[in-house]
Amino acid sequence: MKKLRVFRHFSLVLLTSLILGACAPATPQTVVQTVEVEKTVIETQIVEKTTVVEVEKVVEVTPTPGPHPEAVISGVEAGAEISLWTFWLSPTFDDYIKSTIARFQEAYPGVTVNWEDHQATFQDDLRNSFAADNAPDVINLSISEGWVSDYATQGLLLPLDDVVPQDVVSTYFPNLWDQQLVDSKHYQFPWYQGIIVNLVNTQILTEAGLTIEDFPKTIDALPAFCQTIKAETGTLCDIRLTVNDLLAQMTYEGGVQVINEDGTAFTFDSPEAVAWLQLYVDMVKAGTVDRNVLVTDQDRVGLDLFTTGKAAFYNTGPNLIREVRANNPGLYGYLAVVPAPVGKSGVVGKGLMALSVKGDTAYPMASIALAQFFSNPRSMLEFSKIVSIYPSTPASYDDPFFSAAPVAIEDSAKPYAKDAVSKLADIVPTVPHKADVNNIVLQAAQQALFNNVDPQQALTDAVAQANALLP
Amino acid sequence: MTSKFSITPYLFLAPALLVIAVFVLYPILAVVYYSFTDYNIVTPPVWVGLRNYQQLAKDPIFWQALKHSFIYLLVTPTLIFLSVLLAIVVNRKLSGIHAFRALFFIPVISGSIAVGIAWRLMLDTNGIINGMLIALGLLSEPIQWLAEPAYTLPIAMLLTIWLGLGYYMMIFLAGLQNIPEELYDAALIDGCNNWQKHWYISIPGLRPQITFVAVISSLAALQVFNEIFILTGGLGGILNSGVTVVFYLWRQAFRLQHAGMASAIAMVLLVITLLFSMMNIRILERGTEAES
Repeated sequence: MKKLRVFRHFSLVLLTSLILGACAPATPQTVVQTVEVEKTVIETQIVEKTTVVEVEKVVEVTPTPGPHPEAVISGVEAGAEISLWTFWLSPTFDDYIKSTIARFQEAYPGVTVNWEDHQATFQDDLRNSFAADNAPDVINLSISEGWVSDYATQGLLLPLDDVVPQDVVSTYFPNLWDQQLVDSKHYQFPWYQGIIVNLVNTQILTEAGLTIEDFPKTIDALPAFCQTIKAETGTLCDIRLTVNDLLAQMTYEGGVQVINEDGTAFTFDSPEAVAWLQLYVDMVKAGTVDRNVLVTDQDRVGLDLFTTGKAAFYNTGPNLIREVRANNPGLYGYLAVVPAPVGKSGVVGKGLMALSVKGDTAYPMASIALAQFFSNPRSMLEFSKIVSIYPSTPASYDDPFFSAAPVAIEDSAKPYAKDAVSKLADIVPTVPHKADVNNIVLQAAQQALFNNVDPQQALTDAVAQANALLP
Repeated sequence: MTSKFSITPYLFLAPALLVIAVFVLYPILAVVYYSFTDYNIVTPPVWVGLRNYQQLAKDPIFWQALKHSFIYLLVTPTLIFLSVLLAIVVNRKLSGIHAFRALFFIPVISGSIAVGIAWRLMLDTNGIINGMLIALGLLSEPIQWLAEPAYTLPIAMLLTIWLGLGYYMMIFLAGLQNIPEELYDAALIDGCNNWQKHWYISIPGLRPQITFVAVISSLAALQVFNEIFILTGGLGGILNSGVTVVFYLWRQAFRLQHAGMASAIAMVLLVITLLFSMMNIRILERGTEAES
């Protein structure tokens, strides 16, 4: 019985083996041959050796909180929410403004910045916002238009003297920091600057038989230069009076003292002032200037005339060369850039843009920190790399960006930019009723330019009207 | 008979009255108040009594502006004459006449700012007008149209006429199409020629439209601003040659920050336009009485 069980088991195993063998894939037929081959046998040898090796060991420690290198203003209010208004920077510079705000928020964590850009209606918007008591905390104001002193004299801006540390003040060019003082107080952080140059259409110059070396170095030489251009090419000079601030223009160009030392009487009917006005009267009479451009208050009008290739030169900033390149690439190849002619004052001009803080801001230190941050050497340098503007901080010019030889015509002012910016200065005294007095001067200048009124008479009458406004 | 008071009509009127009170009545009252103050928008107004009005009376530029505004009223008869003429011309059953009507209407929908800029470019020293005149041999060198004081106001008036012509033409066209055709047939039988037909039938038939156009175009002419602003680049022209009352108001308010003085100018303008409106309504009423 036991043998039968063993046999059954054996038969079952054999049968299973046969079935599995039948299901298995067919094996290729192989011929087994014996071949002699060389075989390299690598044997591992264990060698005991002790070596002393010096390694750098990185030790991780908990970081100690320290001051951010760009956070130079102390006492910034925690959780401050401040607003910033810029003038005509969006959308071209959106990325720059936003990234600078982001860097500011890294330097001063917890401060929120709400940025708005205002353009043609900036002044109206700002006045309305002051009237409605919701003016921005940090405001981009124009130095060249005199906005800082305008708002500061009305008590709307925060004086910076007692709150900005001296080591921060010393980061700016002193001439720029000291602009538009009101009662000897400072109200602005100098922001980006422009260098006034003349863009020259060398084609017209060549046609007139002139070279770039013939370009006038002084304002006095302009009439003769324009006469030659008109006679040889028939084109008119693209010269613009600063119609909203003729007091400033006569100060720089004519070396005119517009008001006496104690501010009790206007003096812009002096021989210097008459000579300055006579220069323009002579050009109008000679028909050598475009009268549309001469009396426009819009820089665009003059720039457009130059861009169309109908003018020999135009006084503007190198940053606007991009407009010429965009709108008339054919002219771009014939462009040259020369320094602007200097007037009798010897000073080319004043600064361009500033950042000021609203007088009654709820967050004065956060606002000051933001204004300072945008005008610090790093922020200014980065801005300069995007567009042809120039920093108000000498340290920015140490970067190779400024020392490298200029490649494009837009960069041609870079080598002498530091020197030029260091000489910008606001030499116009604070004038009471400035807008009204400038309007009086404009009416007088127009009478002399276009109505055959003697310049001396026009200015004497204007001084009498202006003096009537003084207390 | 007893009248029963109901609040329902007042509730229906309330929303409109509220809007008018906030956006019309309050600003008018505010302007009346500001006209007696020294106000620069930024700082609070200071009461100065009649000083603004006294200064205005002595201000030669204001009188010059007032003179320019009255000269600008010449736009009204010119516009009426030209648009009636144009309406008669396009009131014909010709193929493609609808296209012409649409073309004449294009300036109306273009907007005064856009048209002003286009005109400014055309009238530029290097613009197409000078280019054509020089090409035709009519000029030896370009005229600086917008820098010549004598041309500023006429050019602005021309622009206003060009802008408004299509609009007023449509009003007169609608009027012409309401005149019964039988009247023209009768005139033809009576031996009227084309001119007489329009003189004796079309013009009298358009009397209500002419009165309406006279009212609205004269008020618009008194308040002209856009054309002057664009053509003179915001300066009012050399020697104030294009300064009108509304432009002067703007300059005082937004250039010189004299909102008090600007409000006084606005009050003077309000009185002038009120007088004009009353005069026009009187003429309208007389015309209606005469017709009836």
